[in-house]
Amino acid sequence: MRPTRALAALLALLLVGAGAAAVAQGERTQHGNLIVALDGGLAPLTLPRDRPAPVSVRLAGGLQTDDGGLLPRVTRIELGLPGQGKLSTRGLPVCTVRRIANALPAKAVERCGDALVGSGRLVADVLLPNQQPFQVKARLLVFNGRVEGRRAMLLHGFARKPPAVVVLPFFLQRRHDGRFETVLVGDLPPRLGPWPHFAQFEMTISRRYVYRGRERSFLSASCPIPRRFTAGFFSFAKATFTLEDGRQVSTGIARGCRAR
Amino acid sequence: MHASPARPRRRALQLALGLVALLAAALPAAPATAAEAPTRDEYVSQLEQVCKPDAEATRRAMKGARSDIQAERLALAAEKFAAAASIFGGTVGEISLAPRPAGDEAKLAKWFGYLKAQESYLKRITAQLQADRAIKAQRLTARFIHNGNLANNTVLAFGFDYCSFKFSRYG
Repeated sequence: MRPTRALAALLALLLVGAGAAAVAQGERTQHGNLIVALDGGLAPLTLPRDRPAPVSVRLAGGLQTDDGGLLPRVTRIELGLPGQGKLSTRGLPVCTVRRIANALPAKAVERCGDALVGSGRLVADVLLPNQQPFQVKARLLVFNGRVEGRRAMLLHGFARKPPAVVVLPFFLQRRHDGRFETVLVGDLPPRLGPWPHFAQFEMTISRRYVYRGRERSFLSASCPIPRRFTAGFFSFAKATFTLEDGRQVSTGIARGCRAR
Repeated sequence: MHASPARPRRRALQLALGLVALLAAALPAAPATAAEAPTRDEYVSQLEQVCKPDAEATRRAMKGARSDIQAERLALAAEKFAAAASIFGGTVGEISLAPRPAGDEAKLAKWFGYLKAQESYLKRITAQLQADRAIKAQRLTARFIHNGNLANNTVLAFGFDYCSFKFSRYG
């Protein structure tokens, strides 16, 4: 390998490492021994002031304990996104749970690739009786979907060790009582069993498509600030985790945008 | 006039008695001070009682500040930031007087350092908005948010709610 290539590879590795570290960082809050973390951002950062432009959103977060103790079981995850973001599914193909259930990622993409809106990864701690806890790392594919007539994002998770496929619908809700008007709500159903305990997730949502000759984006946003300012700050996202004992733990993050 | 030899002896006795009395007074005070140091949970609960009404007052004071800035009413936004700075300063002044848990002094000293910086940022943002200097106010806001996150990380294990920095309270 030539020195420049080796250097580039090393830099790439360092960047990947920095990204992985960021998953566990971001803004954090602590409730008892439980730490809730959320990180994320918008790309591109520079956006028009007066009209929405296509964006990709990256979110990463999860739970950890400060004493290395076992994680409680999460029964629901809610991800809130601000009202100034726009989510469009008009003309975007729709996938169903049945089409991707039990399908390996390649098959899922073959069946629903035109509805693909994002990807990421998921980590769960598995606590089996009389065994040391171990982690399951799953690759995530995110599809635009519909479940029982409701708009949803279908999270298709595939773990290699042990081999497993799971499809979790995250329903899209509009709320008008706070600063996070678009909320993705996903239940982690009891059928997943008592053993996997959600630990971390990371996903990037981005999809551009053409509908009726017009280019569209699954996610769009603007940076609505006055001419005299060059950057603005806003509440970017909020993650709320409902635990099996009914407690809710959450954390929110603020981010900035630049206006062009 | 010379003092008799008995007088210095009496004075020395008085001094010794005074010292004993002082020590006697100080001795029970020492364990009392140690007993006053709260546990971390007690400390958090005590501070949250102070921070809760102030956090709510901040939210009320800052209501509409975002819209004011959108509409370029910087002077009006400055008034809201000034009110928030005043509330924040009052809160920090009050909670800084509370006895701190043993073993957490260094961490809390660092936290109070960040809180003082937060107060300073709020005042400086107010001044820049009053002076109609939008870009400077914008830069200070970025630092204010970053500093707030650093403050939160310092006392993460305390599990503060109302005493922690939340961007959403500021408009």
